[in-house]
Amino acid sequence: MSLRITPQTVTTATMREINSAFDSLQRRSSELSNGRSILEPSDNPYGAGKAIDLQSTLDGLASYKTNVQEAIAWESTASSALGSIGNVIQRAREIVLQATSGVNGQSDLETLATQMEQLTESAKQDSNVQYAGQYVLSGTLTETAPYSAGAEDAYHGNEGAISRTIAAGMTIQINQTAQTLLGNGAEAADGKLLDTLRTIAKHMREATPEALETLDGEDLKSLDANFSTLLQMQGQAGSTIDQLQMAENRIEELRTSTSVALSNTQDANLAQVATEYSSDQAGYEAALKAGASIIQMSLLDFLK
Amino acid sequence: MSIPTLQGLQTALSGLLANQAALDVAGHNVANAQTPGYSRETAVMETNPPLVIAALSPTNGEGARLGTGVGVQTITRIRNAFLDAQFRSESGALGEASTGAEVLGQVQGALNEPSTSGLSTQLSTFWTAWSDLANSPSNAAAREGVITAGKDLASTLNQLSAQIETASGEASARYEAITGVTGEVRGDAEEIASLNNQIRIAQGSGQQPNELLDRRDQLLDNLSKLAQVSVTEQEDGMMTVSFGNAAQPLVEGSTVHWPQALTSAAGGQLGALLSLAAPTGPLAGYKSSLDEVAAGLIESVNALQPQQPFFSGNTAGTIAVVTTGAQIQTGPEGEPGANNLALGIANLRGGSADQRWSAFVTDVGSGVQSARQREVGAQAMVSAVEERRQSVSGVSTDEEMTQLMTFQRGYEASARVLTAMDQALETLIEHTGTAGL
Repeated sequence: MSLRITPQTVTTATMREINSAFDSLQRRSSELSNGRSILEPSDNPYGAGKAIDLQSTLDGLASYKTNVQEAIAWESTASSALGSIGNVIQRAREIVLQATSGVNGQSDLETLATQMEQLTESAKQDSNVQYAGQYVLSGTLTETAPYSAGAEDAYHGNEGAISRTIAAGMTIQINQTAQTLLGNGAEAADGKLLDTLRTIAKHMREATPEALETLDGEDLKSLDANFSTLLQMQGQAGSTIDQLQMAENRIEELRTSTSVALSNTQDANLAQVATEYSSDQAGYEAALKAGASIIQMSLLDFLK
Repeated sequence: MSIPTLQGLQTALSGLLANQAALDVAGHNVANAQTPGYSRETAVMETNPPLVIAALSPTNGEGARLGTGVGVQTITRIRNAFLDAQFRSESGALGEASTGAEVLGQVQGALNEPSTSGLSTQLSTFWTAWSDLANSPSNAAAREGVITAGKDLASTLNQLSAQIETASGEASARYEAITGVTGEVRGDAEEIASLNNQIRIAQGSGQQPNELLDRRDQLLDNLSKLAQVSVTEQEDGMMTVSFGNAAQPLVEGSTVHWPQALTSAAGGQLGALLSLAAPTGPLAGYKSSLDEVAAGLIESVNALQPQQPFFSGNTAGTIAVVTTGAQIQTGPEGEPGANNLALGIANLRGGSADQRWSAFVTDVGSGVQSARQREVGAQAMVSAVEERRQSVSGVSTDEEMTQLMTFQRGYEASARVLTAMDQALETLIEHTGTAGL
C-alpha cells in the first residue's frame, strides 16, 4: 500500500522535523554556553557519577593543599624557634668555656652565672613560640605556654600529637614538644636543657674547684647532649618540611591529572560542538525552508 | 413495448442529483480538512435498477434492460480499524513512557547535579570545613564553619527527600484525578456509552452515523493514552471497551462499569502513575537510596563525636544538626590543640556518603535516560501509525479539488443530457403534427 499524502501528513511530518532539528540545535547551544557535555545525569549516567567523584577528589586535593601549607607554616615556626634555642646553647657553651678558663674571679663567675640565667629565660621564651595563636611546642595544649617566665621550670604542655592530612588516607605528625629538649628543670634533674643551664649557673655561683671541674666535664657533656637532641629535633622538623613539600608537589600533579580526567569526562569538546552547532543550524534552516515551501504548495494555486 | 417518453429526463436527473451529492461530500471534506478526528467521507454511487423492456426489437421481439441512471447508495467514512487498534496500543505505550520520563525527570532536576550547588559540592564543603577545623581546632570561626556546612547539608537532604515524596504524592493525586468521579475516564466512558446507543439506533434505521463514529473513535484514542484499550464491535454497532486490566469492560453497550481497580500493569499514563507511586516503585527506591546516603553520613560523623552527636535523625527527611560550635569535639577533652576527631571526620571525604551519593545520581540518571529512550521510541511508533492513519483517513485538499472538478463536470454533463432530452421533447411536442401549417 503506497501512502496517500495529505496536507496534514505533510504538516505533521514537517513540524516533527523542524522540532527535532530545533531540539538538537538547542542541545548544542546549551553545551556551548555551559561548556559541558553532561548537563544532567541522564545525558551520561556513568559519566555524571564519575564527574561527581572526580570533583570530590579535586576538592579534597584543594583541602590537602591548605593543610600542607598550614603544616609548613607551623613547622617553620617551630623550626625557627629551635634555631633560636640552638643559639642559646651555643652561647651557653661559650660562657662555660669562659668560666673554666681559670682567669675568673668570684665576681666574674657571678656575672657569668647571671648571663646563664638570662639564657635560661630566653630558651623558655623561645619555646613559647606561637603560630596563629597556638603554642606549637605544647603538645595538644595549644592554648597553654609550655613554660612560664621566672624560676619555675616545669613543662605545662603535654605529649599529645598534632597531625595533618596531606593526602587521601595519609596523615603526618607535625608537632614536637618543648619538653623533649628543655625538660622540667633542675628539680626534675632530667639532664635536659633547663636542668643543664640551671646546674651550670649553680656550679658557677659555687665557684669551688670541684664545681669548676664539673663545669668543664659533665656539664659541658650534658650541654653537648642537649645540643645533639636539638639537632635531632631540627632534623625531624626539616624532614617533615621536606615531606610536606613533596606532598605539595604530588598534590599539584594529582590536581592536574584529575582536572584533565574531569574535563575529559564532563566538558564539551568545543571545536566539535561548535561544528555540530553550525551543521545543526544549517539543518534547521533547511527544515524551515523546505517546510515553508511544501506547505504553501497546493492544487488551488493552479486552478482558475 | 417501447421506452417511456420521459425516462430520459429521469435518468439525467439522477445524474444531476448524484453529482450534486458527491460535490456536497467533497465540500464537507474540504470544510473538515483540519478537524481533529475527522475521517474523510465518500459518496458511494450505484447504478439504478434497470428498466426491463419486454420486447424491444421489432425484428425478433427480444427485450432489453435500459439503464436508469445513478443513485447515491450511502455516504461512508474511510477508516482502517486495524490501524486504529495499532494506534491505541502504541498510544498507551507512549502515555506510559512519557509519564515515567516526566516524573523521573522531575526527580533528576531536583538533584541539581552535576553543578556547583548540588549535594556533592555541599558534602565537599562539609569535609573541607572539618579539615579547616582540624588545622585550627580552637578557632571559633572554624567551628561555626562546620556547623553552617552541616546545616546546609542537612537541609539539602531534607529538601531532596521532600521533593521525592512530593513527586510520589503528585503521581497518586494525578491518578486519583483521572480516575475520579469527575475524571477523564468516567467522562469519556459515559460519552462512549451514549454514542453506542445513538449509533445502534442510527444503524438500525439504515443510516451511516459518520460523525458519531468519528467522535467515538476520538474518545477511544483519548482513553488509550490513559491505559491499554481494546475494543470489540458488536453486530448492532455498539462497542465493548476493555480498559487497562480492569476486571469488567469499561463500557458494555450503553452501560459504564466505573470505578474499577487498576494495577501498574494497566499500561498508559495510569499504569505508569501506579507503578511510580508503588511501594516497590522507582520513587520509593530513590527515597531509600537517599536515606542510605543520609544514614551513612549520620552514622560515620556521629561515631567520631562521642559526647554530643553532630546529627540527629536517621533518614534524609529527618537529618538535622543538633550540636553547637562550642560543643564540637576535635579531640580528647581539655586538649584544645588535639584534632584527631576532626581529622577523622575530614578523612571521611570520598567515603561511603560521597560514594553512595554519586552512585545514586548515576542510578537516577540511568532511570531517566532509559525512560526518555522509551519515550522517544514510543513517540516514533505513534507518529508512524498516525501518519499511516492520516494517509487513509486524512483529507487531501488536492484530491478533493480534483473530485470537485470531476463531479462539477459530471453535473454539467448531466445537465447537457437534460437539455438534449428537452430539445427532443420540444421537437416532439412543438413541431410534430404541424406539417404543412
